Amino acid sequence: MIEIRYPDVLLDSLENGHMIIDEHFVVNYWNRWLAINTQINKEDIVGKNLQEFYPDINYKVLYRKIKTALTIGTPTFYDTNSSKKFISINRNKVTTSSLKLMQQQVTISPYIASENRVMISIYDISELFEAKLLIKKEMNTVNKLNQKLEADREIIDKNIMIMKTSVNGIIKDVSSFFCSSFDIQRDEIIGKNISIFKSDDVSELIYKELWETIKNKKPWNGELKYKGLRAQEKWLQSRIMPIFDTHGEIHEFSAVYHDITNEKLLAELYITDSLTKLYNRAHFDETINMIVKHQRKVDSDFILVLVDIDHFKSINDTYGHQVGDEALVSVAKTLKSSLRDNDLVARWGGEEFVIMLKNITIDEAEIIVEKIRVNIEKSIIKKDIKVTASFGLTKYIAGEDSKEIFKRADDALYEAKNSGRNRVVLK
Amino acid sequence: MNLQFNEDQLDALREFMNVSIGAATASMASLLDAFGTMHIPKIDICNSNELGAKIQESIDMRSMYFVSKQLFTGKFGGECMFVISEDSSMNLGRYLYGIENPSFDEINDAVIELTNILTSTIVSRLTEELSTQVQFFVPSLQFLDSASIVDEEDVVEYSKIIIISTILDFKDQQIVGNIYILTKDEAIESLKVLIDKKIEEIYG
Repeated sequence: MIEIRYPDVLLDSLENGHMIIDEHFVVNYWNRWLAINTQINKEDIVGKNLQEFYPDINYKVLYRKIKTALTIGTPTFYDTNSSKKFISINRNKVTTSSLKLMQQQVTISPYIASENRVMISIYDISELFEAKLLIKKEMNTVNKLNQKLEADREIIDKNIMIMKTSVNGIIKDVSSFFCSSFDIQRDEIIGKNISIFKSDDVSELIYKELWETIKNKKPWNGELKYKGLRAQEKWLQSRIMPIFDTHGEIHEFSAVYHDITNEKLLAELYITDSLTKLYNRAHFDETINMIVKHQRKVDSDFILVLVDIDHFKSINDTYGHQVGDEALVSVAKTLKSSLRDNDLVARWGGEEFVIMLKNITIDEAEIIVEKIRVNIEKSIIKKDIKVTASFGLTKYIAGEDSKEIFKRADDALYEAKNSGRNRVVLK
Repeated sequence: MNLQFNEDQLDALREFMNVSIGAATASMASLLDAFGTMHIPKIDICNSNELGAKIQESIDMRSMYFVSKQLFTGKFGGECMFVISEDSSMNLGRYLYGIENPSFDEINDAVIELTNILTSTIVSRLTEELSTQVQFFVPSLQFLDSASIVDEEDVVEYSKIIIISTILDFKDQQIVGNIYILTKDEAIESLKVLIDKKIEEIYG
């Protein structure tokens, strides 16, 4: 090891400020860095009291720190974040500086304990401090954004029905609003398959179309009916979107729902006959008028059937209107249960019903209608009370208006009535 | 790496800590002109992820805290943490600066100063007892709520931590603080070696 013969040269070469003072604050040494940065020459300060040059330092605190360093034999420090500077040194950085004065780390180290002298070292930590300030500023911005995001998230959670599922349909998360809408706890459904909500009222074709769409990485929009765990059902306007990972592969599905149950109920009431629960005449009229108007080949292939309960007036007169209503409900049920899903049946008015049999030949239609006639005949309305019905059917001819086809069906029905009732007549 | 202490090692460490705490109490009385007492230190060896819970056991969760941390290195290295409530810090600032309403900066500096004295005396005396030396770094200070004193993510990389904790109480000035000397994995191993060496020296 070499002997350091010129310690003042060593201290002058350091890029930090170093002074040696005694417990009465008399300056014993002042290095070059301090002379340059404070503009106070060594010759002017050495031998004099620091208080003459820096009266603002809290000398009571400095004295205690000096005493601590000397007593314990280890360095003592000032708070590096303090806005009060040990000694003021202007900072000359011109570009992007938020600090006008040098931020300092001040260490008081025991120098010659027996002579109560300490070395005060000053390190320029302005760059570090600036970085800290910048981080703090950025963190404040991030925190504000996070708070806003959290507030928004809370609003969304409490007001929008949202669900996230894995690729294979396992429920990963749901919003509070979804849970409260179905009166369920989050824990009850997390980890379960989305199929627990599946309702039989939604056609398998809809589910197939949904899965095909989202598996092909596209969002699906449509109406779904969900069945809650406690029997309540809701119609939901749904938007189901695939969420992608960084490789562009589907990572999960996210669904946003809007409860349209009330709208659906209203819409259904508007088109439903309140007694028989079949469609009403207005809905049937609207449907047939649309077909006639657009003349699409796929829609125009249908058979129109008019149905009239035989001797209905005498049922009402004999057994009362309540039995008459029961007869109407019974016939409606038989009609509904004897037809396919895509056929349309409505109450036309009084004891009359109307049926639209789609994509079927006239011969096939005649067979189906004959079966319906038999089913009605066999049905028991109430103890010993039975009814029959007459049927007039005709095929729609492309280009004709609704009056024309109704006229033909009505003629067929008239003929069925006149030729003894309880029969099917084709026109 | 066996980080468990045997009974002899624990006894010796407790004894060294008692001596160190005694020295710290004396230093504070002399340097701060205030008579403080320090409780008999408690030594816990726990997993790093338990540190937060251990610290929360000994503080009031409703208060805000000044948390000062000072690192020391050497054969026995670690971190000395001083946790002092907002009220106690205010009283400390009043006492050390001799003013009724110390500024935030003055309170910070007062906490730094007390940390300095505590860390230096306790750790210096402990390492003196263990015949080794340490280097101290500048203390850092944060003002935190009780739940944020230890960030779990900061300590997960350590497997074991020794917590040597004590309570500092200046009754007259109404200043109470918790001191934690924390050391981890390799430093625990070194500490065990130093203790064994010292036991060997004392008992031959």
